[in-house]
Amino acid sequence: MSWSHRDRLLAALAHEEADRVPMDLGGAEFTTVTIPAYEQLKEHLGMTHETKVFSKMHSVVHPDEAVLRRFDIDTRNVLPGPYQGGHGRVIDDNAYVDNFGVTWRRTVGTDDCHFLHVDGPFYEGKLTIDAIEAFAWPDPDNPGLVEGVAERVAQIKRDGDHAVCLYLPGGVIHRGYAMRGFEAYLMDIYKDREALCRLMDKLADYWVGVAENVIAAAGPENIDVIYFGEDLGTQAGPMFDPDEFYAPYIKPQHRRMVETAKAETHAKICFHCCGSAYRFIDHLIEIGVDALNPVQVTAKNMEPERLKAEFGERISFWGGINTQRILPFGTPREVAAETRRIIDILGKGGGYVLNSVHNIQPEVPPQNIVAMFDAGRAHRYETAA
Amino acid sequence: MSLERIYDAVLDFEEDDVAELVTAEIEAGIDPQEILQKGLVAALDTVGERFSEGTLFVPEMLMAADAMKAGLDLLRPILAETGAKPVGTVVIGTVKGDLHDIGKNLVCMVLEGAGFLVVDLGTDVHPEVFIDAARENEADIVALSALLTTSMSEMERAVGAICKAKENSNFDVKIMIGGPPITSEFAAKIGADAYGVDAPTAVKHARDFVRA
Repeated sequence: MSWSHRDRLLAALAHEEADRVPMDLGGAEFTTVTIPAYEQLKEHLGMTHETKVFSKMHSVVHPDEAVLRRFDIDTRNVLPGPYQGGHGRVIDDNAYVDNFGVTWRRTVGTDDCHFLHVDGPFYEGKLTIDAIEAFAWPDPDNPGLVEGVAERVAQIKRDGDHAVCLYLPGGVIHRGYAMRGFEAYLMDIYKDREALCRLMDKLADYWVGVAENVIAAAGPENIDVIYFGEDLGTQAGPMFDPDEFYAPYIKPQHRRMVETAKAETHAKICFHCCGSAYRFIDHLIEIGVDALNPVQVTAKNMEPERLKAEFGERISFWGGINTQRILPFGTPREVAAETRRIIDILGKGGGYVLNSVHNIQPEVPPQNIVAMFDAGRAHRYETAA
Repeated sequence: MSLERIYDAVLDFEEDDVAELVTAEIEAGIDPQEILQKGLVAALDTVGERFSEGTLFVPEMLMAADAMKAGLDLLRPILAETGAKPVGTVVIGTVKGDLHDIGKNLVCMVLEGAGFLVVDLGTDVHPEVFIDAARENEADIVALSALLTTSMSEMERAVGAICKAKENSNFDVKIMIGGPPITSEFAAKIGADAYGVDAPTAVKHARDFVRA
């Protein structure tokens, strides 16, 4: 049979093998290409279209339809429109304030063009419930957030049979770091836990409000995947205690987010968590997450064989092509071989969507991007051969 | 004995107790080096071990370092008066073009906790700045951090520049590197002396370097 893009993706997420593994590029803010790598890719492919920025913070692009078709990508993204008004403003080319009152800055003169938070509304002093309540929080009913959403879905439906992936940015950890400061947030776990929980409540309330509005605007029946998440791991292990802190304090917020995403839709949930996610996977499965991204295979306990054996029947894997070593520094032949190796391990019996581990970084040669997707497109499931 | 209570107070993240207990020990005439080593440094070593084995995590490391600092701030002036030298001096920073400093800051904390004098150059540090700071502070070790694969080429350049500077007389430092994409193979390839997989491992390397 001939598989539609959408059916191919849904088969994989239902742990079934289609004709080949489905592939994502640009479905979400963490599964796309950095601007410098994309410019080189365009040149390599002989394409001259205008580059559209997906996320200023990550300095990543919306891959053009021509690129997605060249690689036979199965996903198409939908995301909220830009917030109108509020705290957001541009300071200069290398700094801006977002709608949570957070200042972001980047370095100049290198290829690393993504922004990091340098100041936020709760950076100074003790975190208090009064300060959290007094803050002018962004409004999930802001009209900008749903602008263009229905049109984008209609366009995807009109242009092909691709899977519609709704990306909902934010959460309770990263936005919390940005507003409070990374170290202060993590120490508030001990110092001001009640206030920290209130901050997370506010962030989750906003996320849930936006999710409900954007899902309604997209048409719940149209959405195949809802993609969100935040990092729970570092390269060397969990960021915080999976059982003593994540489970009682953060997991309920993530559960609420998953339940919101699933309430009106049939969508599968793809949760993004960088680093060593290993000790959180059972928790994520328990709250209803269907797929884990980006599967950072070079982090602790994240070997693909281990993940497939321990969790493969209960969760799918989305990502997994080594961005820390092979994509930037390998040859196209090595990239293709690694892609086939990952498909053979993670794709067995379905349950795998091909993508790089996080965004394709500036120094990744275009030949390696082509090698990854061409190998993914051509390689067949071992059992089907 | 009360040095054990200091050790326990650090592990319980009780910074006020640490300050109180250290003050009491100083007033009782206990050797400040002993308070430092058997109370504070021993506690942070335990935290480091538990971090590396995966029973303590980043928040606990930050809290313990904070509690320890409360004691260290009291001991430092006294140690300086007695002419006690730090275990060693480390010049540290995130390489040019990279603004990430979470891991680097953790390494700073545990190095200070282990009794090193840490000169933190921050982020986006140019190679010459590492070299100048190392000369100025008579550093034993230069430590470089990078989060991104994009920054690895800057790290290679910086390490190369430091190695070149070492060819001149009167400049001898050990170089250690760290960060998510870094491996010991990469460290060897670019001429660094060691790679620290996490903050406690960085302390181990630093100790080996100054002992050697």
